[in-house]
Amino acid sequence: MSRQNNNQRTAAGRGVSFSSSPVLEVRLPVWRSRLVLFFLFGAFFALMGRALFLQGMNTEFLQKQGATRYARTIELPATRGKITDRNGQVLASSIPVKAVSAFPEDVADAPKEKLVELARLLDMSEADLRKKLDSDRQFVYLKRQVEQDIADKVLALNIPGVETRKEYKRFYPEGEVMAHVVGFTNVEDKGQEGIELASEQSLAGKTGSRRVIKDRLGRIVEDIESVRVPHDGKDLKLSVDSKIQYIAYTHVKEAIEKHKAKAGGAIVLDVHTGEVLALVNLPTYNPNDRANLTGAQLRNRVMTDTFEPGSTMKPFTVALALDTKRVTPDTVFQTAPGAMTIGSATIHDAHKQGALTVAQVIQKSSNIGTAKIALQMPPQEMWEMFTSLGLGQQPKFGFPGAVAGRMKSYKTWRPIEQATMSYGHGLSVSLIQIARAYMIFARNGDTIPLTFQQSSEIQLGTRIISEKTATQVREMLETVTLPGGTAPQARIPGYRVGGKTGTAHKVEEGRYVNKYLVDFVGFAPVSNPRVIVAVMIDEPTVGGHFAGPVAGPVFAAIMQNVLRSLNVVPDSSVMNIIPDEGVPESL
Amino acid sequence: MGTRLNILLGIILVACALSLINAQYQARSLFIELERTQTQSKQFELQWTQLKLDQSTYGKHSRIEAVAEKELNMTPLTADRTQYLTAEVVK
Repeated sequence: MSRQNNNQRTAAGRGVSFSSSPVLEVRLPVWRSRLVLFFLFGAFFALMGRALFLQGMNTEFLQKQGATRYARTIELPATRGKITDRNGQVLASSIPVKAVSAFPEDVADAPKEKLVELARLLDMSEADLRKKLDSDRQFVYLKRQVEQDIADKVLALNIPGVETRKEYKRFYPEGEVMAHVVGFTNVEDKGQEGIELASEQSLAGKTGSRRVIKDRLGRIVEDIESVRVPHDGKDLKLSVDSKIQYIAYTHVKEAIEKHKAKAGGAIVLDVHTGEVLALVNLPTYNPNDRANLTGAQLRNRVMTDTFEPGSTMKPFTVALALDTKRVTPDTVFQTAPGAMTIGSATIHDAHKQGALTVAQVIQKSSNIGTAKIALQMPPQEMWEMFTSLGLGQQPKFGFPGAVAGRMKSYKTWRPIEQATMSYGHGLSVSLIQIARAYMIFARNGDTIPLTFQQSSEIQLGTRIISEKTATQVREMLETVTLPGGTAPQARIPGYRVGGKTGTAHKVEEGRYVNKYLVDFVGFAPVSNPRVIVAVMIDEPTVGGHFAGPVAGPVFAAIMQNVLRSLNVVPDSSVMNIIPDEGVPESL
Repeated sequence: MGTRLNILLGIILVACALSLINAQYQARSLFIELERTQTQSKQFELQWTQLKLDQSTYGKHSRIEAVAEKELNMTPLTADRTQYLTAEVVK
C-alpha cells in the first residue's frame, strides 16, 4: 500500500494526482488503435518485402556492386627469364619500365607549357606529341619503354589524362657482340630472334592475379580468393662463353676491316660436349637500339647462309677412302699435268704438283688428287657419309632459321659431279654444319649433336669412321698448317693445330662470279683436340682472296686466345713462327 | 544460481567478442606487414636484377680490355711469355 502511495505523483502546479488525471479517463474509440496497429504491421511487411527483394532477387547484383567498392583484382606480373652465359654473366635481362599513355580528349585542354615539358621528357618534338594527341582514338601510347625515373617526372607534371602503365624492357649488356646468339624481344616482351625466339616457351613468364580487400587508405587487408601465383620465366644458361665470344668477335671484325670484306662469321665448338662456345656474325647490330636495322645486319650467316665449302670437304673424301681401305696415307696419285678431263668437263689445280701421296693431296689441297680418290668409290657411299655428318640435313640445334644446305641424291650424280663434290663444289653447307662435321676428326671418329645450352655430361657419339682413320686424317690436317701446306698462317705458338682451308667461288644466279668466300675449319691441340674453330670471310677484296692468308690468321688468333682462356696445356714447344707464304690452294 | 551462470556466460561472451576483435585487428596488421615485406622483397629482387645487369655491363670484356690497355698500359699475353704450371711441375 505504502508503495502505491509513493508512486502517486502530482501534476505540476495543479495538485491533481497523475493516475486520476481526467485526460486519461477519456475513452478512445477502438478503431484508432487498430489503425495504428495496421500501419505498424503494414510498414513491417513493407520492410520484409523489401528485404526479401534485396536478399532474394537482387542479391547477386548488389554483392557485385559491393565488391567493386572494396575488392580489387590485382595483376601479378611475371618477369621473363634471364639469359646468362655459361659463367652466369647476364646476356639478357628484363627491367620494369613504364609505358606513357594518354586519353587525348582529357589532355586536349592541358596548359601549353606542361605539354612542352612532357615532350621534352619523352624526348620528342612538341609537334610530334601534338600529332599523337590529335587522334580519334580514346587511348594512345605516347611512348613505350620509358625508364622509371622519367616516368615519375611525367607523372609529377600532373597532366589530366596522361598515365603510365607497367611493362618490361629487355636489356642486352653485351650488345652487338652477342646479338645473333641471344636475339631480341619486341615491346610486348615476346622473342623475335635467336635464343629469345627459340626458347620463348620456357623464358616467358605467366602472369598471375589475386583478389583482395582494400581499406580506405588503399592498403590490402585480406585475400578473398586463392591467389593465382605468377610464374616467372625460367632463367636460361647458354653454352656460350662471353669471353670466347668477345675474342672471336674482335678478330673477325679486325679481319673484315683489314680485307675490306662484306661479311664474316666464326663459330667455336667444344669437342667434348658439343657445346657452342661462341657464334659470331658480322655485320651485326645493337639489340638495345634497333631503330635502323637492315636485313644484312640481322642475318645469322653462320646458321642461315650456305656456301660451297670448297676444299674443306676434301678431308671427308679422303677419310672415307682410308676407312674403306681403298687407299693408305702413302698411296700415290699422279696429279700432273694439273688438269683432268672427266666427261665433257675439265677440272684444274691452282698449281701443278706432279705425283702426290694421299697425305700430300690434303696438305697441298689438290683437286685432281681428291677427285681421283673419290672416283674409286661408289656415289652412294660418299652420299651416305656426307649425310651422316649432317650435310644436306635439317639441323636439330633448336635455333630458328638454321638451314639444311643442299646436296643432291647420289642417284643423280654424274662422274663429274662426284669428282667436284669430293672437293666441295656442287653442294652447299652452312658454317655451323661444316664445323660440326669436323667433329669426326677432332673426336676420334665419332660425332655428337651440338647444343646451345650448357651441358656438363660427356656425350656419347655416333661412330662414322674408325679411330685409326681419324688419327691419320688429323695428322694430315696438321701438315696443312706446317711449312709447305696451304695455311701456315694458321699455326700458333705452343700448340699443334690441324685444319683445312676452303676458298669458294661464289654463285650468283646460277653462275660463278668473280667473288670469293674463304673459310678455315680447324681444331687444336692435335694431340687431344679440345675445340673446333671455324671462320669464314665473305668477299675479301684487299690482301688476296685465298683462305690461307685471309682466314688462316683469324683462325690462329681466335684459337690461340681460346686455348689460353680454357687453360689448355700446350702440346708443342713454344717457338717463334717465321712467317711463311704457304702454297696457294686449288679453287 | 541461474543468474550467476548467466552473468558468467555473459562475461565470457564479451571477453570472446573482444578477443575476436583483437585477433582480427592483429591479423590485419600482420597481413599489412606481410604485404609490405613482400613488396620489399620484390623491390630487392628487382634491385638484384639491376645490379646483376650492371655487373655484366661493367664487367664485359670489351670494357675490361679497353681499360687494361689504355689506363693500365697492359698488353695481350702471348704463349712465349707464359709459364705453364702442370700438376707435375707443382709437385
